[in-house]
Amino acid sequence: MSSADVIWGMSRPSPGGPAAPVAAPPPPAEVLILGVGNLLVGDEGVGVHALRALEAETWPAQVHLVDGGTGGFHLLELLGSYPRIILIDATRDGAAPGTVSQFRARVAADFPPALGAHDIGLRDLISAATLLGPLPEIEVITVSVTELKPMTLELSAPVAAALPEVARRVRALLAG
Amino acid sequence: MSTRIVVDPITRIEGHLRIEAEVKDGRITDAWSAGTMVRGIEIILKGRDPRDAWAFTERVCGVCTTVHALASVRSVEDALGIAVPPNAELIRNLMFCAQYMQDHVVHFYHLHALDWVDVVNALKADPAETSRIAQSISHWPKSSPQYFHDLQKRLTSFVETGQLGIFANAYWGHPAYKLPPEVNLIGVAHYLEALEWQKEMVKVHTIFGGKNPHPNYLVGGVPCALNIDEANAINAERLAYVGRLFEEGARFVEQVYLPDLLAVAPYYLDWTQIGGGVSNYLCYGDLPTNGFADVARFKFPRGAVLDRDLSQVHPVDPRDPDGVQESIAHSWYTYRGGEDKALHPWAGETKFNYTGPKPPYENLNVDGKYSWLKTPRWKGHAMEVGPLARMLVGYASGQEEIKEAVTETLAALKAPPAVLFSTLGRTAARGIETRLIARWAKEFYGQLIANIRNGDSRTFTKEKWEPSTWPAEARGVGPSEAPRGALAHWIVIKDRKIENYQLVVPSTWNASPRDGSGQRSPYEAALIGTPVHDPAQPLEILRTVHSFDPCLACAVHLYDDQGGKVGEASTSPAV
Repeated sequence: MSSADVIWGMSRPSPGGPAAPVAAPPPPAEVLILGVGNLLVGDEGVGVHALRALEAETWPAQVHLVDGGTGGFHLLELLGSYPRIILIDATRDGAAPGTVSQFRARVAADFPPALGAHDIGLRDLISAATLLGPLPEIEVITVSVTELKPMTLELSAPVAAALPEVARRVRALLAG
Repeated sequence: MSTRIVVDPITRIEGHLRIEAEVKDGRITDAWSAGTMVRGIEIILKGRDPRDAWAFTERVCGVCTTVHALASVRSVEDALGIAVPPNAELIRNLMFCAQYMQDHVVHFYHLHALDWVDVVNALKADPAETSRIAQSISHWPKSSPQYFHDLQKRLTSFVETGQLGIFANAYWGHPAYKLPPEVNLIGVAHYLEALEWQKEMVKVHTIFGGKNPHPNYLVGGVPCALNIDEANAINAERLAYVGRLFEEGARFVEQVYLPDLLAVAPYYLDWTQIGGGVSNYLCYGDLPTNGFADVARFKFPRGAVLDRDLSQVHPVDPRDPDGVQESIAHSWYTYRGGEDKALHPWAGETKFNYTGPKPPYENLNVDGKYSWLKTPRWKGHAMEVGPLARMLVGYASGQEEIKEAVTETLAALKAPPAVLFSTLGRTAARGIETRLIARWAKEFYGQLIANIRNGDSRTFTKEKWEPSTWPAEARGVGPSEAPRGALAHWIVIKDRKIENYQLVVPSTWNASPRDGSGQRSPYEAALIGTPVHDPAQPLEILRTVHSFDPCLACAVHLYDDQGGKVGEASTSPAV
């Protein structure tokens, strides 16, 4: 996948036809795989890059893949529509770039702090979601990043090399 | 003696705006506004296919995700001379309206209300009295004593467990909070209801844009097919759903947002005398009703008001090389032609030149460069953009619907038009235009349905889609009115690729640093005279800055160039 294709994923619109799928009302789906991050900031976008890679695979009908981008409050609807979510995001936790970690998030403080380019950070979003009711079951897979490079769509080599491991963990979580 | 106070970041939810202010005898005497993150979308776009630009620009912001896509496709259509079919214009208008309704309600309740509503004080409210007040201001059904009783119980448990969550960083108990506990409780109730409500409103984007966040746009139209009988198109069932979303959205605006605004405002009328700032207002206009080329028939008229003189509207042309210009006297950039140049965006340059202190730092050097925002000016004037500018330009232009809505609200507050030039005026203008937008959305929806009934299902024109039909060079501008104000993208196309691309976004107009001649920009000017009861708890600064609805993600995005957290320099809690 070329660097520019990552921005489109599976939904590049084309003229003259209904290329974009028409969304149904809240889906009765069971698992949401949500990749978040800003594609315009290099490694910060690893969550969306990982999602793009997963989109190329085949998944059972009850598994929904969504590019959450920098969606902010727009993501609140998704959080409330699924009993189980696997969230993929970048984190600047001091570990070597490309390190993949995972944990079960229970409260807002468990989530990685925003790296600056999500406008409304995940912590804010989860705080808001807890006001509305119990959180769904959320597994977070993070990829450690160090340098955030502006003006680039590409991942650095160590972070790009982590994508197969992210995919493996997603499959393991779904199997478990 | 004066004290320098720093608020960083200042957006309620995570942000990248820093304000430094001098306070003397309890009032702000001077202020500086700095964007502390660098921006570079222009550099990413260079050399790309112009038809793809919208998808990149849409990613710069997670709050108003659609507005950059709209400005971008318009800039390309302008460059290539493309007129989109009427249905495409209507669908774009409907997405625009849904964005405004969601965004303004979220701003009012989730980004601004807590500057006025004391959440902790709501614990003292009497549910029966709260119910009586709620029912006296609105027919909104969720208003029984039991409802408020249950809500208060929930809130009490939040506070007792110490899990204030999103309510955690605030100045509860500050003497500048004036609402009775019952009105505070109504505010908290509607904060929570609005969180639920906004989830519904944005479904309009999913339906027409195929996905959300970051819905799809298309140069030449919209990427969705209209066919009332076709399962995979925007069919009768989908259209009916959109109609319901706008009906319910309008009900929330009329029965919750506007009544709350009018109930809270009388307790804070002193804020009609504070926060006026610059006296010039700019609006590019938007919501075409007869095609985008017919500017005279936009719902929001285009124009400029200077010196608060509402008897005159000055014509604005985004293509005029002497109109909109950006300078960098106090911004971390360089221009090839020299530091003192002001460039029209078609000739704009984006070259970084960070000369600020290494974080963490105490204060910025405000005599030199102190922001990642450039400083835009219109014919040399510092201009405020946003809801207040739209309402003032509309009012001064004689747009009847705007005049009527403004007059009605002023009558309800028993106040003259001059109160609009203030912090509270800005917040009121946002409510007024949301009400108009909710009505207009129904109008556009009705027209779309009528077109489809009459057999017109066109949503795209393929004329000029193929690059082989393009001229060797072309320039275009895509003006729009984002919820936060005038937004435009300027594009230069050469050999079918993007040669130059510049965005001038609302928060750049409002939050920029001074220009080369020392004129303050809107935030900086608006803060002068703002009272500060306690420099350690600068709630009043937040009121004025939040009244502009700061969204620094698109004004300056990407990251702290120095790799550190600039926020560590703050002397007050980040809110």
